[in-house]
Amino acid sequence: MNHLALPTVSYAALAPILFLLLGGVALMVLSALSRRPLAAGTVTGYSVLIGFGALISALAEYGHVNGAGPSSTVASAIAVDGFSAAIAVTVSVVVILASLLSHGYLRRMQIDAPAYHVLALTSASGAIIMAAANDLVVLFLGLEILSIALYVLAALNRRSAKSEEAALKYFILGGFSSAIFLFGIAFTYGATGSTNLQVITRTLGEGVAAKPGLLLAGLGLLLVGFFFKVAAVPFHLWTPDVYEGAPTPVTGFMAAAAKVGGFAALLRVLLTAMPQLSTNWTPVVYSVAVATLIGGAVLMVVQRDAKRMLAYSSINHAGFLLVGIVAATSAGISADLFYLFTYSVTALATFGIVTMLAGPRDDDAGIDRLSGLARRHPAIGAAMAILLLAQAGVPFTTGFIAKFSVIEAVVGHGSIPLAIIAMASAAVAVFAYLRLVATLYRTEDIATVDLGYDDSLTDGPAAFAIGLSVVVTIFFGIFPAALLDFGRTAVAHLLP
Amino acid sequence: MNAYLPVFILMIVGILFAGLSFVASGLLAPRKKPTAAKLAPYECGIVPEREPPQRFPVRFYLVAMIFIVFDIEIVFMYPFAVVFRQLALFGFLEVAAFSVVLFAALLYLVSNGALSWGPAVILTRGMPSRTSESTITRISATKSTDGQAA
Amino acid sequence: MNHLIFLIIAFPLLGGVSLIAMSRRVREPLAGWVATAAVGLSFLTTLGVFITLLGSHSGGPSHAVTQHLFDWINVGALHANMDLTVDPLSITMCLFVTGISTLIHLYSIGYMHGEKDFTKFFIYLNLFVASMLILVLGGNMLLTFTGWEGVGVCSYWLVSYYFQKDSAASAGKKAFIYNRVADVGFLLAMFVIFFNEHTLTYSKMTAHMSSLTLTMAVLALLFAAAGKSAQIPLFNWLPDAMEGPTPVSALIHAATMVTAGVYLLCRMHVVVSASPTGQWVICGIGLATAFVAATIATSQSDIKKGLAFSTVSQIGYMVLAVGTGDYVAAMFLMVAHAFFKALLFLGSGSVIHALDGEQEMGRMGGLRKYLPWTYGTFLFGWLAIIGVPPFAGFWAKGSVLDAVFGKSPWLWAGGLFTALLTAYYMSRLFYLTFTGSARFTEQGPNGEAAVAHPHESPWTMRLPLVILAFCSIFGGLLNLPWVHGFGLEAFLSPVFGSSLVVPADSMTKQFLLAGADALVAVLGLTIAWVLWRGRSERPELTPAFLAKVWYWDNFYDTIIGRPATALANFTAEVVDPLVLDGAVDGTAAAVGGLATRLRKVHNGQIRSYGVGIIFGLLVILVSFLVVVG
Repeated sequence: MNHLALPTVSYAALAPILFLLLGGVALMVLSALSRRPLAAGTVTGYSVLIGFGALISALAEYGHVNGAGPSSTVASAIAVDGFSAAIAVTVSVVVILASLLSHGYLRRMQIDAPAYHVLALTSASGAIIMAAANDLVVLFLGLEILSIALYVLAALNRRSAKSEEAALKYFILGGFSSAIFLFGIAFTYGATGSTNLQVITRTLGEGVAAKPGLLLAGLGLLLVGFFFKVAAVPFHLWTPDVYEGAPTPVTGFMAAAAKVGGFAALLRVLLTAMPQLSTNWTPVVYSVAVATLIGGAVLMVVQRDAKRMLAYSSINHAGFLLVGIVAATSAGISADLFYLFTYSVTALATFGIVTMLAGPRDDDAGIDRLSGLARRHPAIGAAMAILLLAQAGVPFTTGFIAKFSVIEAVVGHGSIPLAIIAMASAAVAVFAYLRLVATLYRTEDIATVDLGYDDSLTDGPAAFAIGLSVVVTIFFGIFPAALLDFGRTAVAHLLP
Repeated sequence: MNAYLPVFILMIVGILFAGLSFVASGLLAPRKKPTAAKLAPYECGIVPEREPPQRFPVRFYLVAMIFIVFDIEIVFMYPFAVVFRQLALFGFLEVAAFSVVLFAALLYLVSNGALSWGPAVILTRGMPSRTSESTITRISATKSTDGQAA
Repeated sequence: MNHLIFLIIAFPLLGGVSLIAMSRRVREPLAGWVATAAVGLSFLTTLGVFITLLGSHSGGPSHAVTQHLFDWINVGALHANMDLTVDPLSITMCLFVTGISTLIHLYSIGYMHGEKDFTKFFIYLNLFVASMLILVLGGNMLLTFTGWEGVGVCSYWLVSYYFQKDSAASAGKKAFIYNRVADVGFLLAMFVIFFNEHTLTYSKMTAHMSSLTLTMAVLALLFAAAGKSAQIPLFNWLPDAMEGPTPVSALIHAATMVTAGVYLLCRMHVVVSASPTGQWVICGIGLATAFVAATIATSQSDIKKGLAFSTVSQIGYMVLAVGTGDYVAAMFLMVAHAFFKALLFLGSGSVIHALDGEQEMGRMGGLRKYLPWTYGTFLFGWLAIIGVPPFAGFWAKGSVLDAVFGKSPWLWAGGLFTALLTAYYMSRLFYLTFTGSARFTEQGPNGEAAVAHPHESPWTMRLPLVILAFCSIFGGLLNLPWVHGFGLEAFLSPVFGSSLVVPADSMTKQFLLAGADALVAVLGLTIAWVLWRGRSERPELTPAFLAKVWYWDNFYDTIIGRPATALANFTAEVVDPLVLDGAVDGTAAAVGGLATRLRKVHNGQIRSYGVGIIFGLLVILVSFLVVVG
């Protein structure tokens, strides 16, 4: 009786994933078995604890990799390196913040709290799997874990037709893009004979990939799958509708987690598996980056709804992250890591505030409703203003450092036109952000508008998370060195 | 160019297949106009008593989906059973973990009333105390999920 | 004591900051006492440092002691640190700045009684003193510039103290803008010196530059000094600055801040003395200012404006002394002037206070019997400024004129004539205010309210008057011409070293010059007596040309104001709407148009979204095809 070659599994390296996944499953069982509905506070606290567990194990993995160098586990299907640890840290922070931000909302909307948290935890684990995947099939698995949970999350507010519509759109188009992505994996396998990233790059390096047509077709299909996930123009069309329709805290989570997972996987595939094809993919990423930067910024200007505006804002941010990929240097990757972390925090908190303002039924995030908010609620108005300015890239916020380091990387790479386009798009976007800030501080006609959300503003956990995010945004905006170093060290230990 | 040949061949075959299907159905389909009986939906030979497009509980779909999940589980179980001995303890544990996760999902579904008929448990659970407002919300929610009541 | 130098600045700064912090709780008169105490402590510290400096001669040839607080700017060759330098020159300034400030703070407690923003006034005053001391003690030009700007902004706040009044607000702006114009000179001087010397620290400065560069540097410094010290061509902000409360006029616009320009020139003596051309220009500007301001002062009807032009004129003398190279004479006049001019301003403030805010001398007269204290002290201030022996002004102005005679007899003649004018206009001011008949007891022609019984000021106001009168009487003792081992000259000359030019005249010549000074003073006094005894108006002696400041403001309005307004209108009406708005609107329209078109793609239909994805995919694949094929 011959045994199959069984893989060795380093559970310590998988700890962040296992924490989130098993935490989600355990919560599901608990909520199923408990006689009475679990209290919302308990569930939020549990979820935050799980997030902390994942965060600590991710930091431990980071420390371990710093000492022992990068490696791989589970038959080299999972990369254990600084990059995946850094993404795991980011995703854990996203989980913690998202749990706190959703607390009041779930209570207010009478949504089953465990359902949200189970799905969020599962989805987050998918994002980490995408980042850590060292094999295209595992990557696809992570993509699906992330996406399917997000489809359901988008439909969570079942009393809202918009939410259902958003979920359906996201589901259909997501399935479409997953199919394209899977097709891309198949072509790549056909051309190189493997789905393992190291094997692919070795094959490409030896020049034994006999069928460049198949290979490039595979590359193109993979790219489209990724571009869809990260909402790059012209594969972004779902974004505004879904962001607008989905429950607002879910939108925030989606904006953060999906972007982190998608970009992490894109970075890893392009820069570790297919660096030899950079002459082929750089022009594509370059043009998509240009389209994304311009499209996001320009369309942001004409939006009348805060959630749609932030959707285009996230598209514009995706353009900046693509700029970091065009740089394709370790400076570019570490700039992208910094960008992903800081963007996640700001975007989550921004959507957290929009949650507070979107009305008792979470159905109206019109910009006009925010008129004069800062005068009625100075703290919330100030937080919103700071977060928007951070997204706009104003100095002394993380947004500035993030944009600056990305552009610095791409200038170092020599793509000065792209840097100029990026900055021009940022200038256009600033207009939209500043208009929103100006709306917040408008004095006239605040008496006439019935805001109807005063009770939703007294949401302790959300306020705490927003305050924390504002502090992070400003602190790392003024003292970015530690976080930048974190990213650089992570990239230095990237599995080749 | 040469490298793209397989792709093109695949594409051409795909287009041909789609086109041929249309052509074939055009050639093979009967040319007579269908009678009313032929247009009626087929319900196991029984003459339909009600209008077919009427609404029925979405729970049918739910049960069907849950069935598919366990169907897929079986698909995994068969190959596992074949190499059960070679995979040894490791394989057993991995498949056990897989089954436990699925079972946990089943538990959740059952506790939420996915397999029971009537208003969704999940909706009645989320409401701590009854007020006139909550009742209105619940009733309207029930209506939209369970079309039969309307 | 030397490590406590920073306390000189720290006390008033702390006073100002703590008053800001407690401004809601602290009310009159506590705020005034806190501020006075802060400045008083600063004065005591200065005294301590001064005594230490006298006792030890450890500070090298120039007796300078530097306290290094911390590294401030350290970029390339530029090392500008927080260094406070105490040497005889700066300690002299510190002594009279803190001393007079203390007196004027005390005076203000009485004068500002009942003002709405009582606390705010003392905050500004304390911050002013702190800035002035930074200016004086700064060990490099950059630090001096910091204080220079600080006093500028405090001056702006204080001139516009009654900002509800249109004239006060405009006067504040005028003062600030003139000073900003002068700052260009300071900055240029710093640039020139740094490029040639690679340092801004006073003690490291040499004058190894080409003569052209040196002249440029000196002219830039003179321009800076002309702004702060109200010299031609930037002198006409000072009379308007009289819109501020009278203690402010006394402290900032007579005794301390306006002498900062002269101080700067003294500080930069190494550079100034190395440029003979520059020195001649300084002399010219000084004498011209002294003369022009004196002529204008003869025709002023407002008591404070009269004193203001007198200040301009006196500072002109100081600048003149700097031009001759006799820096000690300039400093001597500065100190003496601080005494008697502060006294005169505070006295006029006492008069104004007594007459419920009346400043027109046409509405005064005969105040001698109503305000005995004010009258008695003002008398000594008047005798001191016109140069009657043996009061302070006689000795101070005498030493300046001695030095000028050594430079050029022609300049001396001009200076002496100006001294005659000074004696004349100050006497006129004195007679109009204190002698003759009381003109305020009835309602005035323009509806001014009558004041039946002017009241003498409280003791907080009288005490400073008495002390300053004492100083005006005996101030000459600081630097008697026949005493060489003791006094300002002996104390200050190590600072200036070889830059200092002291006239070495024979005893006879000195007596003759001093006699001329005294004679001129008495002559001016007599002329005024003859012309103005019992009169309150003589239109033929106050021509519009002089009363309107030689039409100087109108001149600036014509050559700068109107063209600039025209240019501004042109940009506002033509450039802005067409060019700038055009560019901005064009961009906005382009973005908006593009967005409207792009927006149509987002029609909410899944099928068109799917088409978008397929379209993108096809573009990518075809591009690959083109590349590979």
